[in-house]
Amino acid sequence: MRHGTGHPEAAGRFRREESRAPWVRALFALTITAVFALPLYLVVANVFKRGEDISGSPASVPWPPTLDNLKAVLNRPDGLYWNGLINSAEITVVSIVILAVLSAMLGHYLCRTRSRFARLTLLVLLAGLMIPPQVILVPVVRILRLTHLMTTLSGMVAFNVGYYIPFGVFVFAGFIRSIPVELEEAAALDGAGRWRTFWVVVFPLLRPATASVLIFLGVWIWNDFLDPLIILGPVGGTTVTVGVYRALGEHQSDYGQLFGLMFLAALPVVIFYFLLQKHFVKGLTGGAVKG
Amino acid sequence: MTSKQGRKLRRADLGYFLGFGAPGLLFYACFVFAPLVLSVGYSFTNADAFGPDTKFTGFHNYLRLFQDPDFLMQLRVTTVLTFIIVLVPNLGGLAIAVLLNRRGRLYRALRTVFFVPVVLSSVVVSVVWQAMLTDGGLLDTVLTSLGVEHPPGWLSDPSIALYSVGSIASWQLLGFCTVVYLAGLQGVPDDLLEAAAIDGAGRWTRFRRVTWPMLAPALTINTVMLLITGFKTYDFVQVITHGGPGSGTTATVAYGVIQTGFTENKTGLASAMAVVMLLIVAVVSSVALRVLQRREVEL
Repeated sequence: MRHGTGHPEAAGRFRREESRAPWVRALFALTITAVFALPLYLVVANVFKRGEDISGSPASVPWPPTLDNLKAVLNRPDGLYWNGLINSAEITVVSIVILAVLSAMLGHYLCRTRSRFARLTLLVLLAGLMIPPQVILVPVVRILRLTHLMTTLSGMVAFNVGYYIPFGVFVFAGFIRSIPVELEEAAALDGAGRWRTFWVVVFPLLRPATASVLIFLGVWIWNDFLDPLIILGPVGGTTVTVGVYRALGEHQSDYGQLFGLMFLAALPVVIFYFLLQKHFVKGLTGGAVKG
Repeated sequence: MTSKQGRKLRRADLGYFLGFGAPGLLFYACFVFAPLVLSVGYSFTNADAFGPDTKFTGFHNYLRLFQDPDFLMQLRVTTVLTFIIVLVPNLGGLAIAVLLNRRGRLYRALRTVFFVPVVLSSVVVSVVWQAMLTDGGLLDTVLTSLGVEHPPGWLSDPSIALYSVGSIASWQLLGFCTVVYLAGLQGVPDDLLEAAAIDGAGRWTRFRRVTWPMLAPALTINTVMLLITGFKTYDFVQVITHGGPGSGTTATVAYGVIQTGFTENKTGLASAMAVVMLLIVAVVSSVALRVLQRREVEL
């Protein structure tokens, strides 16, 4: 059909099509989601089951629920969970705070400086966004050994800051460009120095970008596997995420404890996600709609 | 401008650089830029933690790699995996996005569910699926109770394991694509679809001619993200299969780099593998980006 052959009732049909049998669509969507979420259900359900029920009837509802698995994980003699949790929290919090501050300032410098050096640096920095960690880890370990930072939390944080700063700058740069320079010039005329202008005038305006950087890098660093596996090594304690991997070796058959550990390791991130859902989606889709 | 003013200005710029630019750049230089340069440097040597003294060997490592059946296998495995990872979450994510692009509490809740695997660590996702797919695991228990006598060895059959790993990665990445496509779908104006309906366009035509072109930026984001993620697949292999079953049926290049560099301590060779990997990622993702963005403009 071409132009001019449209019927007046076609628009009505468009509306009707959209509202036809909403229940069928809802039911279909529900079924697909249930299939998709089945593995998640199996983990959560089996955390609250006794060992013999896990292998016997993995899909059954855990009723009455037992807390034995979680207790076993929390009371492990080697403290795998608690040590890992503390390490993960320390590494994540310190890394993202430093990253937010340094990448906001670096982003500001690179956006507000009109020189070939600044333009080139921005390019080199953003190229870092697609460098897989495997490509640089061998020399990184040498550098960390040389500076006595290998197998330390500080070394882990230092690496995180270097590795994730391109993402921070990428997010902040887009935001800083949308802030009129006149605003900063006005503050400078009022006698505020560069430092004051940035922290009092600019940084508060960057709040959405800061939120994105903290949220995304927080989740990535918490979930990171290869970097802490190599950098923290087998000696100096480990993160919860690497802890799950270590436990996998011990508990090949004890799914109860393994799932319990995994559940507790993932819990902080999942709670965080449910609380800040809107920010996750907004941060992720900033570029998807503009075109 | 007098020269005095000029000097003052330059000093101010230096202060700005030292205060704002330098700290961040220092970290980047130490932990990304310098290691990258070193990796390229090592790749032209026979550096080996336990071998003879390090010597410059030119392109020897590179020539060796392209005759090494293990490395060629890793390239093949990585290519197949990347292909699955670019295709499945892209298509699946689009379908789910179209299905869930409705108002209401129910649909909002369902959208939330699809994103959960994205915020989970790939280690957690690996353990979940390992428990599901291992021989006699949760899936087999369910299948046996449904009367399937010999369920396939999802992770133990060399001809299936790679596709299992691809499916696991796709399951985790699906929600990312869904969210990006949903944002794109919400940008499609209703009156445009309505106008098309008045012109007599059916459901499929409306999708093909109106909605799909407007999803071009979302397609670009998803495809490039999936390409980069696919090429560096490591965690699933390390946690679930260790490159097996059999000899290297699921070993990716990223996995090979870590094995060669850290288990076998062959720094020079591992660096050459890393450089090849980086070149492939850089070339493929920038070509994809250019092609997809040109398509956005044309549409």
